[in-house]
Amino acid sequence: MAIEIPKNLDGLPTSQRRFVGRRVRRREDPALLTGRTEFLDDIKLPRMLHCAVLRSPFPRARIESLDVTAAEALPGVEAVVTGEDARRWSHPAASSPDGWGGHCLAGDEVRFVGEPVAAVAAQSRAAAEDALEAIEIEYEPLDPIVDPFEAMKPESPLVDEAKGTNKMLDRVFTWGDVDAAFDAAPHVFRESFRWNRVGANPTETFGAICEWDPMSLELTVRGSIQSASHFGLGRAAVFGLPSNKVNVIATPHGGSFGGRGGTRCTDVACLLSRKAEGRPVKWIEDRMEYLTAGGSQAWDRHYEVELAVDADAKVTGLRVKLVDDLGANGEPYGAICAAKPLAAFTGPYAIPVAAYDLKLVATNKLPSSPYRGMGPPPHFFVLEQMMDIAARSLAIDPAEFRRKNFIPKDAFPYTIPSGNEYDSGDYEQVLDRALELADYAGLRRQQAEARAAGRLFGVGVASAIEPGVFDWNAYAIVGLPGTGVPEGATVNIDILGMISVRVGFAMEGQGQYTLVSQLAADYFGCELEAVRVVPMDTQSAPPSFGPGGSRLGVAITGAVLGACEKIRGKMTRVVAGLMQTEPENIVFRDGKFGIPGVEGASMSVAEVAGTMLARSDLLPPDIDPRPEATHVWTAAGRTEPDAQGRAKSYLTAAQSVHVVAVEIDPETGQTEILRYAVVDDCGTRLNPVVVQGQLEGSVAQGIGAALYEEYVYDDDAQPLTTTYMDYLIPTVNEIPELLRDEVVTPSPFTPLGAKGCGEGAIHTTPAAVLCAINDALAPLGARAREVPATPNRVWNWIQEAGDGNQTPQGEGSNG
Amino acid sequence: MSPTRIPVRLRVNGRPAEGLAEPRTSLVDFLRDELDLTGTHVGCEHGVCGLCTVRVDGVAVRGCLMLAVQADGAEILTVEGLASPDGKLHPLQEAFAEEHGLQCGFCTPGFLMALHELIDDEPNPSEEQIRDVLGGQLCRCTGYAGILRAVQSAFAKLGASPSTESGA
Repeated sequence: MAIEIPKNLDGLPTSQRRFVGRRVRRREDPALLTGRTEFLDDIKLPRMLHCAVLRSPFPRARIESLDVTAAEALPGVEAVVTGEDARRWSHPAASSPDGWGGHCLAGDEVRFVGEPVAAVAAQSRAAAEDALEAIEIEYEPLDPIVDPFEAMKPESPLVDEAKGTNKMLDRVFTWGDVDAAFDAAPHVFRESFRWNRVGANPTETFGAICEWDPMSLELTVRGSIQSASHFGLGRAAVFGLPSNKVNVIATPHGGSFGGRGGTRCTDVACLLSRKAEGRPVKWIEDRMEYLTAGGSQAWDRHYEVELAVDADAKVTGLRVKLVDDLGANGEPYGAICAAKPLAAFTGPYAIPVAAYDLKLVATNKLPSSPYRGMGPPPHFFVLEQMMDIAARSLAIDPAEFRRKNFIPKDAFPYTIPSGNEYDSGDYEQVLDRALELADYAGLRRQQAEARAAGRLFGVGVASAIEPGVFDWNAYAIVGLPGTGVPEGATVNIDILGMISVRVGFAMEGQGQYTLVSQLAADYFGCELEAVRVVPMDTQSAPPSFGPGGSRLGVAITGAVLGACEKIRGKMTRVVAGLMQTEPENIVFRDGKFGIPGVEGASMSVAEVAGTMLARSDLLPPDIDPRPEATHVWTAAGRTEPDAQGRAKSYLTAAQSVHVVAVEIDPETGQTEILRYAVVDDCGTRLNPVVVQGQLEGSVAQGIGAALYEEYVYDDDAQPLTTTYMDYLIPTVNEIPELLRDEVVTPSPFTPLGAKGCGEGAIHTTPAAVLCAINDALAPLGARAREVPATPNRVWNWIQEAGDGNQTPQGEGSNG
Repeated sequence: MSPTRIPVRLRVNGRPAEGLAEPRTSLVDFLRDELDLTGTHVGCEHGVCGLCTVRVDGVAVRGCLMLAVQADGAEILTVEGLASPDGKLHPLQEAFAEEHGLQCGFCTPGFLMALHELIDDEPNPSEEQIRDVLGGQLCRCTGYAGILRAVQSAFAKLGASPSTESGA
């Protein structure tokens, strides 16, 4: 039986849609607000031990000797593990690029500050930390490899001798006749950019409780794990276990944003549990561990970019060279962040050809992780600065230059040069609404006045695409072993008509359990409270990937509605039998089955469920009597990458325009955001409250990346940002009030027309803020080419421009 | 060589409580591990993020920067003590739910406790006073917009009423 999932809100079987698409209060909130939600560190298991990890203080050193006997002898210590145990009992972690993973504990050499060297399981965390001090270890420090450009030179020492190179990947992708486009272009703009490391910083650090059952050889991992089934497959590979012997129980997350990581020390805790005869071992990362050695750091990038523009101000080609410093290995999926830009390489613009020269380089820094947006935010930062450089040089208003180059609304579905397909959009409408909302004309007048008075006032207009609903094929080009992205839900109706929906993911903050309730309640015409959402462990749940790549809202909508449709189909057969008619004559609407025009022919969902479970005599002979169904939703039509990496990967393309006004204090270099307007189009908004929250939070993270946040290393690869006094998360006082509006062009490809929207604004915010800063600095001839644009950096750019020391920008004559 | 454990007696959310703490044990660890009050969360353990904020003798303090032994004899209020015993949310909690003032909710108990002190101290706070309190708390999900809406709504609801209800 083909399952038809409604493509828009009107397709739901209800005359009064009360929940889906409406501003619904979250069902997750009462427990969170009263401190009753059980997070990982709130869990205490019988006989549980606590883990502390000894970490390398050196970025690169040989371990000359390691002696844990004194630690093992301390009271309360139950197990100690070292790299030797890791090599005996586990394999190197899967990685991207393939082969660049490592064991969870260092062997003869440490490769970054914070790399685990040994670990203790003891009666308490304090006792475990005390025991670390009894471990005797001698290092012979080696010169660290810090600069990725030096690291690529043949004479450079190697981060990992066995690899024979520091280049994890060196590949050029060419999409179309790029050389011809640049040769023919009357204007070619070139510029270099630097994006410094930033990262997710969820308020809850990562943690896991690991239990290795020595009798059944089964592993159970509880943890604040984003993609539980994928994580479980990874642990099975690391420990050589059958995949059905690893059970992952995901606990609610205190934020995630892609940067939870945690596989390395989860594996350490698993080894400790094995050594401690199967006692559960809890590992909780502290904030300093998170900042220096957790899933914390992303996007350490050096860009060279070229833009070709024709005489009609149309962009005709884009070349991007990226040197991405991934740190000491490819394990925590940092590389996928360099692959994802292919899903939206040319942004919202109809740029016909492009090229991507991608170098992933190993250094002795922390291996880099994903972070919300997974790579496009730096890409759009550089693309949008290039658009402004071109517009400024050609004396065209930056908003109009973008309008001229937008993909027109009648061109969708639209395939970009790097192979992905955008589903729908109306970019000009979004731009117009944003300009109106921000009072763009008024801002330009204000700017003219400010400039006349010698003040540094800038306006930035930026637009970007948020690829949504990811598929692993997007990451195949960096050698990532994909495990599929199914999302399943099991909908069950009990004998009294109450509904349970079993899902495979934990709460993360995006109101997904509320969404599941909205869908089931509107579908079956009941109250939200009649729906219970039950998270399942990975061995019990239907196939699930969970949140990631702005996919879960769309995917779980497909799963829940698919399961509801299956139940409706089954119940329709039951009702047809009872009403002595054919199933085609039965209509289901507003929670009732009936025959149109036949009075009294009406049964509620509860009545049908009760009949199915209690009255076998009334059922069609061959029917499965469970009022239950599972549906697994996957995005249709995703393709394998071709020789140039081109694939249909992300299913949806949301778009936004941000307009930002800033003023810079020339004395201090401090940037103040005076106005911030956002208009976005992410298709149907399933719970507009949640969509708004995603956008607001994502803007704040974008402002952090643009102005404040940076993981700083010194010249010897020592991390300097190891507390929240050094790594500057924006507070309420750094975030401006947002002016917001929206445009809705539903996706033709997804359940209810929704698009991925969870990463959203961070794609555009750093670009927009830097566009505004560059606009403010333009009269001085100063240019911002690096984020974060801290006061110190901005002040220096102003001084350099005053001294005539900034290198000339921009347009190269083209021969 | 196990360090000495010292008895700590205090009142938490209106009830007497006691437990043993090593001299080095922080108040938040004592509340969570010894008294099983896990509603108060730990975010940074160096006094910046504000997640572990609880009220000690009426003052909003960071549970990671105070030792458990220092709280001997104190009256503590934690997030578990905000709602009525019948499950009715405190107006502040209600406002957070209404205005989407939380996403993952991990930082929320700290925000609630910091604001709870403000409600008692200043029934009609200025925007500046509100921002001063919120500026000591980090949230990574909301961008603070929903939190600001919630705070405005909570104070509007509480009106000029001088005191707040709580379990304490």
